[in-house]
Amino acid sequence: MSYEPPVTDYDYIVENCTCAFCGCNCDDLDFLVKDNHVVAVRHACRLGASKVMEDLDQRLMVPMVRNEEGVLTETDWDTALDTAAEYIANSIRPVFYGWSETSTECMKEGLELGEYIGAVLDNQATICHGPSLQAMQNAGYPIQTLGEVKNRADVVVYSGSNAMNSHPRHLARWAVYPRGYFRQRGRFDRTVVTMDPKFSDTAKCSDMWIGFEQNGDYGFYNAIRAVIKGKKLQSESVSGIPAEDIYELVDVMKNAEFGVLFFGLGLTHTLGKQRNIDIAIKMVQDLNAMSKWGLTPMRGHFNVNGFNIFMAFETGWAFGVDFCRGWGRYMLGETNTIDLLVRKEPDCFMVVAADPGAHFPNGANQHLADIPVIQVDIHWGPSTELADVVLPGSFISVECAGTSYRMDGVPIYMKKAIDKPETCRDDEWIIRELKERVMKLREETNVAEKYVPNPIMDLKRLEKEE
Amino acid sequence: MHYANSYLERPVVGDPHVDSDVGRLEVLNCMLNTGSDIYQGACKKRGSTLKEEYKNASGTCYMDPRDMAKLGVKNWDHVLVKTDYGEVVVSAARSRDAPHEGTVFICKGPWANTITSHETYCCSDPTYKGIHATVEKTDREVLLMADLMRWVYKKYVDEEDDDVVENMESLGERPFYNGRKWEELENHEL
Repeated sequence: MSYEPPVTDYDYIVENCTCAFCGCNCDDLDFLVKDNHVVAVRHACRLGASKVMEDLDQRLMVPMVRNEEGVLTETDWDTALDTAAEYIANSIRPVFYGWSETSTECMKEGLELGEYIGAVLDNQATICHGPSLQAMQNAGYPIQTLGEVKNRADVVVYSGSNAMNSHPRHLARWAVYPRGYFRQRGRFDRTVVTMDPKFSDTAKCSDMWIGFEQNGDYGFYNAIRAVIKGKKLQSESVSGIPAEDIYELVDVMKNAEFGVLFFGLGLTHTLGKQRNIDIAIKMVQDLNAMSKWGLTPMRGHFNVNGFNIFMAFETGWAFGVDFCRGWGRYMLGETNTIDLLVRKEPDCFMVVAADPGAHFPNGANQHLADIPVIQVDIHWGPSTELADVVLPGSFISVECAGTSYRMDGVPIYMKKAIDKPETCRDDEWIIRELKERVMKLREETNVAEKYVPNPIMDLKRLEKEE
Repeated sequence: MHYANSYLERPVVGDPHVDSDVGRLEVLNCMLNTGSDIYQGACKKRGSTLKEEYKNASGTCYMDPRDMAKLGVKNWDHVLVKTDYGEVVVSAARSRDAPHEGTVFICKGPWANTITSHETYCCSDPTYKGIHATVEKTDREVLLMADLMRWVYKKYVDEEDDDVVENMESLGERPFYNGRKWEELENHEL
């Protein structure tokens, strides 16, 4: 890495902006603006800074529709919105996926459209922390805010999460390095433990690294729970970790004044899935018998938690809500995007501020090649290569204000810093416009006929009455 | 105008330096792990997905140096990774997190997702981590993002033959707006 001189050539600074990258939602950034573009960012991590300073080469500037030869052609907003609305109005099983990188205000419009047309609404939780949400329903949600971690935590555990790479300021701003009210010496007052099969960058700056074997999470947590409850381990090692190390780890965890478990996709993407989180939550509950412990899922996008909180508040379910029968329905493994795509059910797919092209497995994406895909996003990405209609949105927290929820559920209002490009529109406006156009195209709602449980019995009853 | 620079042509990796067992294996059986790392995250979120930089950040198989020696590959050689769900050509590089013999790591992105498992086992979440894979040396090129998407999904090509699609003219590193360059669009009146 070479030395970089500080950026001095800027017009003005916008202070106290919020970062629109990960679930930490750092709200202390300063944007250095020149010619209505952010040329440098102060206080942000590498990820946040690179996102805010975006690559203008690939910025989507104009609405586009695929022509008959399969080439994206620029068009005006009216044509693009009408084409998209037609695809949605003519579909019988639309899926609206994404929402995690847009504002909660935009989700409101999306939910109205979804309810009207009978769509499945799902967000990125379905491919990252979906199992965590299910585990919370199974086992509970002993959460604390990040401020409590900063001021109180003396044992911090990262499990299946490489915070140094995916939430770089998490350690610096909240969990490990900052000085808190009861932790005046900062890093020296805290013990950091990383549990990860990989000797990750987070593990490298931790006090303890527990490198259990891949897919060994469930067994390992079970062993910890057994030891917490005072049992002796029967085998010499569990999931590749020697028994003595487990005893030592449990000793540290039991003697914590305030411990926090941060868990990431290492637990949800391996074979145990939601059972890994179940057992981790139960471990935290067991630890609470002798110490004070909490946990927080390391949410990846800045508003992925926002969609879950918003949907849980509005419909009762956090993600994967299916309105095709005219009322909300939620069934894991049935109404989730990946399962729907693998079963080749959807006939229209709308992507709002997400990138299934990059982040869905091959087996799910294959179906996107057969159906119309509508993309609302700010950059030309892998999903654009699969999209039939492209609607350029605006960048929340930089070009457009909005509300988002941090990983611990604290809502943060993200203010606007610069103007958006003239040819782009706010996500909220695009979805509202789509909603109105779809409603115009389709006067009656997309619901099945009234359900009659047993038609023959019903007929007999009618005959009797007559 | 001076911009703060977060571009990086390719991730910084160490030198493998292992002399024993060189070229002993044709095919390496291993466990595939995927996930994000800071280079991939910075490049993806900036939006530079069409570029060479994203190919180097995301389409790279991070391997233990001993595994690299066994296969006889050096940093940035090309390897073919196969699983039950597909195959893809990526670059090989020494892992920053080594040693982890028998495990390879590919950052999430279109390359990794060509070969990850879509099985959710009724839990909504595909199995991105812990998949059995084989790695072998190859002469084939690592495709840029747009070319890879065309090769894997073939949404807008009529040709079905993988070899033909792979060798088609590259879609390049810039967006393609109906034959017009992005620079011409800046003062576009709509």
